[in-house]
Amino acid sequence: MDETVAEYIRRTVLKIPRHEIKTVLQKWGFLSEAQLQTVNFHQTKEKVSQEVVQLCEENLADIKQAAALDIIYNHTYPNKRMWSVYQMNKTGEETDFFDLTDFKKKIKRRLRSALKNVTISFREYEDNAIWIRVAWGTPYTRPNQYKTSYVVYHSQTPYVFISVSVFKSNLPLLCQALVVASSYHDIREMELRSHSLDSLKDIVFKRYSQNFQTYYPRPLQERNVAPEIVDARIVEENKREKERIQRLNQEAFGDGPQPKLEFAQYKLETMFKSDPKMDVLNKKEPFRCLVKFSSPHLLESLRSLAPAGIADAPLSPLLTCIPQKARNYFKIREKKGLFPGSFVSP
Amino acid sequence: GVFAHLEMLEAQAHEAAVKQEETEQQEEKIARLKARVEELRVQRDELQAKVDLQEKLQLGKEGVVSNPAQASTRDVLGWKIKSLKSMLHIFYLTGISGKLTKRGVCFCISTAYEGTYMDSYHLDLLIKPQVEIHRHSVPVFIPLEQLAKKYLQTDIRRFLSVLSDHLNAYVGRRYQADQLQEHFSDQIEGTLQRNSLCNLLVFNYKVSSKSKTFLFNVRLRYGDLCCSLPTEVIVSSTSDAPTSLAELAAAHSELFRRVALHKAFCCKPGLQHPEP
Repeated sequence: MDETVAEYIRRTVLKIPRHEIKTVLQKWGFLSEAQLQTVNFHQTKEKVSQEVVQLCEENLADIKQAAALDIIYNHTYPNKRMWSVYQMNKTGEETDFFDLTDFKKKIKRRLRSALKNVTISFREYEDNAIWIRVAWGTPYTRPNQYKTSYVVYHSQTPYVFISVSVFKSNLPLLCQALVVASSYHDIREMELRSHSLDSLKDIVFKRYSQNFQTYYPRPLQERNVAPEIVDARIVEENKREKERIQRLNQEAFGDGPQPKLEFAQYKLETMFKSDPKMDVLNKKEPFRCLVKFSSPHLLESLRSLAPAGIADAPLSPLLTCIPQKARNYFKIREKKGLFPGSFVSP
Repeated sequence: GVFAHLEMLEAQAHEAAVKQEETEQQEEKIARLKARVEELRVQRDELQAKVDLQEKLQLGKEGVVSNPAQASTRDVLGWKIKSLKSMLHIFYLTGISGKLTKRGVCFCISTAYEGTYMDSYHLDLLIKPQVEIHRHSVPVFIPLEQLAKKYLQTDIRRFLSVLSDHLNAYVGRRYQADQLQEHFSDQIEGTLQRNSLCNLLVFNYKVSSKSKTFLFNVRLRYGDLCCSLPTEVIVSSTSDAPTSLAELAAAHSELFRRVALHKAFCCKPGLQHPEP
């Protein structure tokens, strides 16, 4: 077995949390159950990874299997990477009969015609997600397995999720291959990024909870209700206000869990509005400013702002429009016209 | 001595008896007070009812008759609400229902296949300045923008009807593919190749003839997105199969065109039984 392949497999196994190594290897399916039984998964990861490499040697693993293991690792722990969303456009109206075999062939052909030294691997999952792993080389060097791009694509959708490690120089080639293989015309990067791949999918596939008004009685959802104080002598003074906030929050965020985003960034290019007498800025230049909201779970924290009393309800639409506009990077410019104000650029 | 000990015991017993009597008295007192509280409450309720009645009588012009009349209006209202709710539920069950919102209408398209209700999808429409889609929960691979461009402005009923057809057909195709993977995985060789719209399915399945098993490859193409049956079926056998199977392949091809996939696999003879 190639030294580089062995080392690559060893390093991949080391990345996996110790108690989950066996499960990931089972998903991989390259080592038999009998072989896996021989490994003591309770020893140090160093030793475990060495034993696994030993077994891979016996089975004569090559780069294909190593790449497959890497895809499985990234599919099991997608939140370790930063994902960007790209949107494709097409003008035709013909029905798309997406043929997976055809798609894979086209990707491989397109990439290999431009760059011979690439390792391309595919893996399909139950939810129609196609994972593509590309390890990039140069015209003169073999593919560097540590210089990889990962693409997740759901057939017949205009959205592609791409995660790039290190260099972005091969991105245009990758995008072109995707456009051609999926029968679209062009592709552009959206202003939407997060570590949570599933949340990005929820946003663009509209799978997150939106509050639609219907007559159909939705099944009541269990909510954390604090034990009601039954004593009639206690009166809640701002009960109405609380209910108002609750109602507005529900309209803005819906009932269910929110997609997980880590930040929202607003780039302001607006004029500083001050008292003319103060004369803060001599030049009439837009005041440049960057506001970034960060959180382990931004949308949930925004949802809890008003009930916690930290912000007024309703929240600014600039904050609540994030899932619907499918973006977390905004540019706010001056509205050119009669009324000075600000608007969000597309 | 013994007498001193006996005296001590007697004193202890006396103390205990006194204490017990005290607690008993205490409990009796509490019980009496509770009963009194109950009595007073009952009295209060009675008086309150009398006051209410007095007030109602003063408001109502018919005197004592006003009470039963009011009761029946309440009943009528309750019945009206109940029948309205049932009506709305019926509309929901028909598959397309809507509710007026502040700025337009919110439609709910509920899908069904073979008598089972499947997913529901929502469309939030604005009507001013023109009809447009504000938000929706339609899957992204359904050609919603195309349909909206064609019909939304001119014929909203047609738009909803066509969209409903697309969604119903989609859940139907998806159901067939899911059923196939779930219940007939033993007859399928390898993986079932499908896509998001479930409009192209390719797979190999086992066919036995003269106690030997062969593989058929089938390619199902659903050209009409509003239909849950394929428009084109190609069944081919592997190269080492005898020519007698060609007829069987043609028969299967015809079958898949007419019958839903999971039903075809379930009830059709000749799929796994040897042909003479």
